[in-house]
Amino acid sequence: LRRCVISLDMRRIEESFRGIKNAIQAKDTFQNVTILSTSETLHSIKPLDVCCVTKNLLAFYVDRVFKDHQELSPQILRRISSIANSFLYMQKTLQQCQEQRLCRCSQEATNATRIIHDYYDQLEVRSAAIKSLGELDVFLAWIDKNHQGTSAA
Amino acid sequence: VPCVSGGLPKPTNITFLSINMKNILQWNPPQGLQGVEVTYSVQYFIYGQKKWLNKSECRNISRTYCDLSAETSDYEHQYYAKVKAIWGTNCSKWAETGRFYPFLETQIGPPEVALTTDEKSISIVLTAPKKWKKNPEESSISLEQIYSNLKYNVSIYNTKSNRTWSQCVTNRTLVFSWLEPDTLYCVLVESFVPGPPRLAQPSEKRCVSTLKDQTSTLKVK
Amino acid sequence: DGVAVLPAPQNLSVQSTNMKHVLTWSPVIVPGEIIHYSVEYQGEYESLYMSHIWIPSSWCSPTQGPECDITDDITATVPYSLRVRATLGSLTSAWSTLKHPFNRNSTILTPPGMEITKDGFHLVIKLEDLGPQFEFFVAYWKREPGAKEHVKMVRHGGIPVHLETVEPGAAHCVKVRTFVKAIGRHSAFSQTECIKVQGETLPL
Repeated sequence: LRRCVISLDMRRIEESFRGIKNAIQAKDTFQNVTILSTSETLHSIKPLDVCCVTKNLLAFYVDRVFKDHQELSPQILRRISSIANSFLYMQKTLQQCQEQRLCRCSQEATNATRIIHDYYDQLEVRSAAIKSLGELDVFLAWIDKNHQGTSAA
Repeated sequence: VPCVSGGLPKPTNITFLSINMKNILQWNPPQGLQGVEVTYSVQYFIYGQKKWLNKSECRNISRTYCDLSAETSDYEHQYYAKVKAIWGTNCSKWAETGRFYPFLETQIGPPEVALTTDEKSISIVLTAPKKWKKNPEESSISLEQIYSNLKYNVSIYNTKSNRTWSQCVTNRTLVFSWLEPDTLYCVLVESFVPGPPRLAQPSEKRCVSTLKDQTSTLKVK
Repeated sequence: DGVAVLPAPQNLSVQSTNMKHVLTWSPVIVPGEIIHYSVEYQGEYESLYMSHIWIPSSWCSPTQGPECDITDDITATVPYSLRVRATLGSLTSAWSTLKHPFNRNSTILTPPGMEITKDGFHLVIKLEDLGPQFEFFVAYWKREPGAKEHVKMVRHGGIPVHLETVEPGAAHCVKVRTFVKAIGRHSAFSQTECIKVQGETLPL
């Protein structure tokens, strides 16, 4: 089965996150709770499920996290906008794989995504959004690792 | 005996210095306490777990660093650490790090560099940097196993022509051929992982001279 | 100051070359007065999900010149809406919005500058530093009939990179084009440059 290989320029997204990492993570006061960071969830994803989980998590951020987070600081707003619009572009890029039926969703991939949504729903929505934003580096590192050979050095 | 919290100013600039996953917590003494014999205690926290844990080897220490490599060796987790200053029955509030993510934040140390030469070429054999390990007996984990896209930037400087050029490689053996005989060349190698930029540590500069050209010496005879 | 209503800036347009994007507009003229302008943008995400949100430009809120470098604002390959208004003291004009949203994938990509040198039998290339988004596709060949073309990707401009170990006495030719992964496009090839390496012939 062919894998979905897409060309991603992660550098700017990682740079945008680094600019907000300390400020956003400092607002996350629930250190004993994680949403993405549990090793089991993302690290157990099989290569053939990478496209589906990427698509689902991009939608998680675009449709929920960025909308639920209300930001007043223009500096942070700019960087979140940069990430949100980059995720929108990545969703379009993944669309090509979906059209070539390379983005199938196994039960494990669907479960993994549902677990993340469940964790999100267990927190008050603003706290959940802040925590998910603060864990973007986990998602970006996972994308980097699983879409390698495509992300720009 | 519990100390009075907040009686001292907090330590400052508390950060992790991480190279090849050797993760050292370091800080500056509290301001305004020069000459006072302050000691420190350290705790750490695994993000997502339940409680802060004591680092017993860093309880009431007078140095301003603490090796938390063992406690933070699962590089796919994220961590916090905190320090407080103690003097007699007074102690500061905790000073806490930001969230530390070894997988993304560790500096990649340089590879080991072995050079051999003949008249017109230099062979370079690189040995990938290794992850920190607790005991020397443990088997080593190469950082290439952790970062499968680890690359090396090899720079070579011709001391005679005063020219430098570089080459980005992924394999660990390379040969620069058709060099000038009897010429001193210096080599510098830096490991890097594509992705979020990290502080990098170049290798020590290694210089080696190509051998004299045997054919020209024969002609002279 | 005799100005009841401040006219909105007109003729907004974006000039974009090699991923540098500049928004320009016709200045608002009020004799004897200095007019300031504010620029705001909205990416496709904001227009789809948060249409009420406009983000102040990084460098031009406010600015005096009738132009604004929006390179640091346009950071994704999606359409961006842009708007400008003039201010004079407490007076502000209406917003003037760019007629068509701008997408950076329309940027003009020019062939890169290159410098070919040799160090003994080694061809070394140094490419124009166009920023971290640019990679370089270098094609090189020996100048003789039927010669095979070799290709090398160079990730960074601005530093000398080893291209090839070559035979003395033969001329080698090089041409290069840029590739921008973020927009999936490349420039045209540069002019071809050839260089000859002196010295004894290589043993067969």
